[in-house]
Amino acid sequence: MDWRLSNDGARLVAQPAGRVDEESWKDFSARLTAAVHEAVEAKLPLVIDLSGLEYMTSKGLRVLTMAKSEAKGAIVIHLAAPNAAMKRILAISRYNMLFPVVDRVDQVGG
Amino acid sequence: MRVRFWGTRGSLPVAPHADAVLAKVARALMIARGRSFADQDEATAFAREETEFATHATYGGATACMEIEADEEAFVVCDMGSGMREFGVNALRRCAEGHPRLYHVFLSHPNFDHVMGFPFFRPAYETGARIVIHSGHPDAEAALRRQQEAICFPVPFETLRAKIEFVTHPPDQPFEAAGLTVSLIRQAHATRGSYGYRFERDGKAVVYSTDAEHGAEDMDAEGAFETFFAGADLVICDTMYSLGDAVSLKQDTGHASNVVAVDLCHAAGAKRLALFHHEPNGSDEDIQRMFYETLRYEELVRGERPKLEVLCAYDGLEVEV
Repeated sequence: MDWRLSNDGARLVAQPAGRVDEESWKDFSARLTAAVHEAVEAKLPLVIDLSGLEYMTSKGLRVLTMAKSEAKGAIVIHLAAPNAAMKRILAISRYNMLFPVVDRVDQVGG
Repeated sequence: MRVRFWGTRGSLPVAPHADAVLAKVARALMIARGRSFADQDEATAFAREETEFATHATYGGATACMEIEADEEAFVVCDMGSGMREFGVNALRRCAEGHPRLYHVFLSHPNFDHVMGFPFFRPAYETGARIVIHSGHPDAEAALRRQQEAICFPVPFETLRAKIEFVTHPPDQPFEAAGLTVSLIRQAHATRGSYGYRFERDGKAVVYSTDAEHGAEDMDAEGAFETFFAGADLVICDTMYSLGDAVSLKQDTGHASNVVAVDLCHAAGAKRLALFHHEPNGSDEDIQRMFYETLRYEELVRGERPKLEVLCAYDGLEVEV
């Protein structure tokens, strides 16, 4: 899994790429937790740009749950631009009911 | 080995109302579009082949009870949910044909939905039957006796004629029973936990893992389950809730999700997964939808692995292992 984090002043954007699975979930967890802290500090919404992600298994999804819990309601975590597979996974897992899902990153904040 | 499901529902026995059955008949007639059939066999074949499972059948409503046919010398049963009543009737028929009246029962945990079938288990009333109840919980006997106290049930446990023995097993100490090598694993389930079982014989392995929560906070613990499921020919998993529900509304109720079950089986290199312990609020259509979604999820996250075959258990299903 690759990872990029950027702050454009309106939102903090995390961009995982590749797969989040049993091999990479710990790395994803560590990076996402740090991103949550940075977003809380900056008082910005956190957008996870899923456009570069092939898929995420249940471990990755549960990392999202932990991140939400870590944010303690101080910020909202958005999921953006999922590919068709990720859109399906979010629907199957009902995670699309737990997180706001948007088509584009720029739909959040600003 | 052959696995036979006598009860696949979670928490509470259920039965479809009359209008649910009527809707199935109406749907099948719509699909038939006026077609005529020579006899009932032809109509049955049409229904089986041309309509979906939720239309021509039902997943059933009895709570957890699963049989493993492995050894001609003894019956092997996992859990004593309401499905145990029908298993008992069937077992007596087989005993009449010469099957020994020895029963090895493996209890996941003594919650009511997993023991409620025992007072209706006719072999327990038979002189000459021997029932060995294996459990990870030392108070399994207390639970069975309690549910037959006068305030709950008219027949006291003490009057049962079968010879009933209780054996408590520590996890991580495999033992032999009914020609099987049996291992236990401790599982997270509400406050008192539950136990999963792995049964091995002649190079084949069946895992029974129900009422096991795999939460977001303890994902590191899943390595033990991947080892426990390793290479299994069939893994029977509690898939009562969606993952979203399991980590939110239903958190700490002690149940797993279909997607976690697939991931554990993928990581373990298991060959087949049976979805089990269905949500009692779920209609046949709901359970079938969950089954289709699980097939799709398995496909989406399979990566370079071999395909994991996914089955949706129903009362009456038999699986050759």
